[in-house]
Amino acid sequence: MRILMTGFGIGLTLGAYFLAKALYMRYRHPLLNVVLLGATLVAVALLLLKIPYQAYLPARSLMMSLLGPATVGLAVPLYRNRELLSRHAPAILAGVGLGTLTSVVSVAWLAAFAALPCEVVLSLLPKSVTIPFALEVVRLHGGSQALASAFVVATGTLGSVFGGAVLTWVGVQDPIARGLAMGTGSHGQGTAMAFLEGPQQGTMAGLAMTLAGITTTLLAPLLIRLLVRA
Amino acid sequence: MLRVLKVIAQIGLLSLFVWLGGRFAALTGLPLPGNVVGLIFLYLALRSGLVKLAFIQEGADFLLRHLVFFFIPAAVDLMNWGGVFYRYGFRLALAIAGSTFLTFVVSGHVSQWLRRRHQPCES
Repeated sequence: MRILMTGFGIGLTLGAYFLAKALYMRYRHPLLNVVLLGATLVAVALLLLKIPYQAYLPARSLMMSLLGPATVGLAVPLYRNRELLSRHAPAILAGVGLGTLTSVVSVAWLAAFAALPCEVVLSLLPKSVTIPFALEVVRLHGGSQALASAFVVATGTLGSVFGGAVLTWVGVQDPIARGLAMGTGSHGQGTAMAFLEGPQQGTMAGLAMTLAGITTTLLAPLLIRLLVRA
Repeated sequence: MLRVLKVIAQIGLLSLFVWLGGRFAALTGLPLPGNVVGLIFLYLALRSGLVKLAFIQEGADFLLRHLVFFFIPAAVDLMNWGGVFYRYGFRLALAIAGSTFLTFVVSGHVSQWLRRRHQPCES
């Protein structure tokens, strides 16, 4: 029964993924997010079929066990672009590093100012990095994985809708700087938008996305001690 | 069929790096996730020639092409968190929007400034 349920859970998620992806491919609207749409489809199916969330957990952990090797695989695009990486090293390191610091510190302050509960604040901290890194930050330091994913998607959606206009408005014209900001500020969704601006912006955004993820997980222990648990 | 086996074997090799990263973090007591340490290890292994791109690239490309699929199960749990958005929705939106705006401005300007400073002779 458990095996059957696990198989069903995986099948359901696959179906939701392909449906959400097909809808996105068809309309290409940034608000049609594959993660949120797919998760909503799965949640609605579970509710309609009266399957408790607990029954979905074995399937969930099986699917998420592939997230580890997928994250490690991000070394491949980094390696393929190693020359680009070293050619623009100062801009990349400083842009991604200070951008990441700004993201974590400013959201912690804004959340404290808004008097949000601790668990919500902890889940907000990794909002600018792609989901596998965000999930690890909350797993190690507290917070909710579901909330963190939702905040990551919200940040990505916001960045992909307004990011380009904001950069133009504040006078960032350099294509490499634009790509770096989009990847640092709104991870994969920002990267998709950066690729629409041009291949140079897109590649830079992809590199920034991975580097911002690494930087956030490295900085998180220190920043959480300084900002949240002081 | 051969290609499927190859992708599976390469994902196995990537998983080995996750495991190595996790062991490293556990042994050193560093508060870092295994997959991030594994990612750094794999990059170093590729740079040093210890691991050839051909050993892993098909597995990695397959997983990265469908990366978003693996995010869905984590977000399904949101069905249990509706209250948070109902209660704090507006404040959450302000915090996220404010911080995202600042992140874009800082990382965009810092990298643009350094690009202009470091390459005075590029057009």
